[in-house]
Order: sequence, then structure tokens, then C-alpha cells
Amino acid sequence: MAQITVDRKLCDNHGQCAIAAPKVFSMNDEGILEFEETFDDALLDEVEEAIDVCPVQAIFVKD
Amino acid sequence: MSVETAPNQLNVPYLDISDPSFAMQSEELRNARETNWYAKTNYGIAVLRYEEVSKLLKSPKLIQGSAKWPAHNGVHGGLFFEWWTKNLLVLEGEDHHRIRRLLNPAFSPRLIKDLVPRFQALANELIDDFIDGGSCEFIGDFAEPYATRVLTILLGIPESQWPTIARLASTIGLALGVTFKQDLDKVDAAVAELYAYAEDLIKDRQANPGEDFVSRLVLASRDGDTLNDEELRNALVLLIFGGMDTTRNQLGLAMQSFMRNPKQWELLAQRPELGGKAVEEVMRINPTVTWVTREAVEDFTYQGLEIAEGTTVHLFTQASGTDPLAFPNPELDLLGEHPAHYGFGGGVHHCLGHFVARADMSEALPLLASRLANPHLTGGDEWLPDSGNTGPIRLPIGFTKRR
Repeated sequence: MAQITVDRKLCDNHGQCAIAAPKVFSMNDEGILEFEETFDDALLDEVEEAIDVCPVQAIFVKD
Repeated sequence: MSVETAPNQLNVPYLDISDPSFAMQSEELRNARETNWYAKTNYGIAVLRYEEVSKLLKSPKLIQGSAKWPAHNGVHGGLFFEWWTKNLLVLEGEDHHRIRRLLNPAFSPRLIKDLVPRFQALANELIDDFIDGGSCEFIGDFAEPYATRVLTILLGIPESQWPTIARLASTIGLALGVTFKQDLDKVDAAVAELYAYAEDLIKDRQANPGEDFVSRLVLASRDGDTLNDEELRNALVLLIFGGMDTTRNQLGLAMQSFMRNPKQWELLAQRPELGGKAVEEVMRINPTVTWVTREAVEDFTYQGLEIAEGTTVHLFTQASGTDPLAFPNPELDLLGEHPAHYGFGGGVHHCLGHFVARADMSEALPLLASRLANPHLTGGDEWLPDSGNTGPIRLPIGFTKRR
């Protein structure tokens, strides 16, 4: 199953991923990113959009 | 304590940001930043330090603060007013997210990368036209045609039409100036002309969809949802409105920064792969968007400061990007490792077109450096005020031709 990793050194908590793929990424009350490390294959397009849209390109997926 | 009643308010600096002579890169501002993380201004507060700008820019307690801009200027109707209230810049919550999700894929960095050879060819063509003379007016001869023709490339319209796009973008840009009310008729006429232009383009791509950017917007769909004709038109107007002046001004500011740092210009000429770094560095120390405006959506307390609902909060980009607390060596340094700047804003309203701007400027700057040695001011430069979106209006420069 594909697994998501986020480079926390790069991540600046803009939250664009949470707009693109809200079922996988979300921002907590402190404005910090939280995410599901694995996801349903049906969400692959959304996750790829989240990866693309990240302003600092901090999201990666590996099989 | 609140802004009005802080017991230590004598220690809170005050900045008159509507004064046309107000300068971001000034002793006054550096002193204010050293004294406190925020300053009071004639409307709202200004956040001056990196850590606080970074935090507040992405705070869910703050929303975009520009929604009421037309009303603040006595404009309550007309084409610009209607467009402004429906454009992505001022939408919030799910209304914003839905449009953003539908627009995002067309702005994917993977797609923008394919345009790089055209950006390079364009930059070289423009430089060819003035290189033998040893001087140019950098805005009119390079920055404006480059920024506008990049838009025509993106929109898939003939590059020869760039003067029309530049004229309409500049006229609509008057809406962000202090003379907005006086210019209203001109602005609305330009919006009408741009609407007609965008509508024709949309109809054409709906009839003949291809692989280009506008076709991607026309075909964009998500969970069965698509952009309707009005949303498509508004998005194209936003692209032109937001993409031209900003890139033109930022290129002019980049040239200014490198003229002040000739060793860095030489480094860029020797190492064109530093083009991306050059863009990040000039946007950190000399951004065209000097502040980002937010508005408190509820009462909240931050660092002991009570910020009441409705308070305007200006997040200062240049001040934060040169804050000594976050940047011990804040000078332009293409080899430095610096935290991210906020020249593209941040949070949910982070600039939509930043991959385009980054890609086109990171090609233009090293090409300029590799062909123009020792660029320097030759006099007659004219500048926009520092408030809001700044940059040179005219930038006459001299240089030695390298190739």
C-alpha cells in the first residue's frame, strides 16, 4: 500500500494539501498539518494533487 | 490588553503606512522591528518579525483582509466590484476551496516545466533587441514584455497581442491604487474588454479543447463538479490581473537588488543553476508585495496581544524576510540556506500562480546575468510607493555586453 511521507523540515503548514485532499490531510487547531500515512487507492488522484500543489513540495509517496 | 489599552503601549511603535514616503527598507522600520514584533498603524497593526508573520499568515483566526477594499474606497458597484467579490482572492471557506481545487491542476509544476524552453527563448529574444546598445530601460524593454508574453504563452494566444493584455492589466491594476475611485470608469471599461477577451477564449477552447492551460481549466472537473462559464472568466481575469504587474515589478526589484550586489550577479552568471535560488533571495529581501493583509474573524489573543474581531493585520513580507532574529546574515546570498520567505503570501490564500512566476523568473535572471555584465543605474528611474505592491516604473540601466 502506498505510504505518504512529509518532510517536516520543509513543511510550512500552508495547508494547501488539506484543501486538495481533505480526506487525507488536515490542519489542527494549532494550524499544524496532520495526515493519514496510508490511503485508499480511490484517493490517489487527490493525493497526487496535494503533492503537486504543496508550495514547498514537501509531500512524497512511496509504495 | 488590546491595541488601544496596552499598558506598555509607549513601547509599541507606530508606522504611518499610508504616507507616500513611508519606506520599508528604512531605519524607522528596522528600529520598530527591533523594539517590538508588531507596530500600530493608521489602520490595524503591522507584524514585523519572521516568526510572528509565519504564524499569523497561516492562522485560522485570520481571513483575507482585502474583501472590503472597493468599499473602503467608496466603490459599491460596477464590473470591477462584482468581479472582486467573486474572485478567489477574497472567497473564504468551502467557496474558496472548491474553486481552488478546480484551478490547481492547471497550475501544476509538472505542466509549467514544459514551458521552460519558451521562457528561455523569450528572454533571449528580448535581450537580443537591446544588448548591442549597452543600455536599456529595463521595465519597458524587458520586465513588462517578458511578464506579459509569459501570460500569452500560458493562455495560448498570439504573443503579438501582449500590448493589449499589458494595457488591460495595468488599467485594472489602478483599482489597487489610492486613486481607485477617480479611475473607476477606466477600470470598469478595462474589465469589460478583458471579459469579452476571456469569453472568446473560453468559447474557443470549449469547442476545440487541447492540452493547453485554458483547455485544462475548461475541462477541469472534480467529484462531478466543474467551473461554469462565469467562474472560468473570473479565473482568467484573475490570472491576468495577478500575474502581470507582480512579475514585472518583481523582475525590476530583482535587477535593483543585484545591481546593489554585483558579486552575486557574477555568481549567477557563472552558475545559472542558481536561478531558482536567485528568485527566492530577491523575493525575501526585496518583494513586490510588501505586505499581505488579513482580518481577524474572531477575538483572539496572540503573544499577549488581544486582537479584536475585525482588526486589520498587515503581515510585512520584506521586514520578516530580513528579520535578524530569523536571518543572522540577512544580505542577498545565493549560496545561503535561509528559511522560506512570504513574498507569495501563505496559508489558504498562498499565491496560486507561484509555480509560473518562479519558473519564468528563474529562467530570466540567469540569462540576463550571463549576457549583461556590470548592470548599473544610469539615472531617471521612477518608483511606485512602498505601500502595497511596489517596484520600478522606469529603470534605465547601462551594462557591458557579455555575449
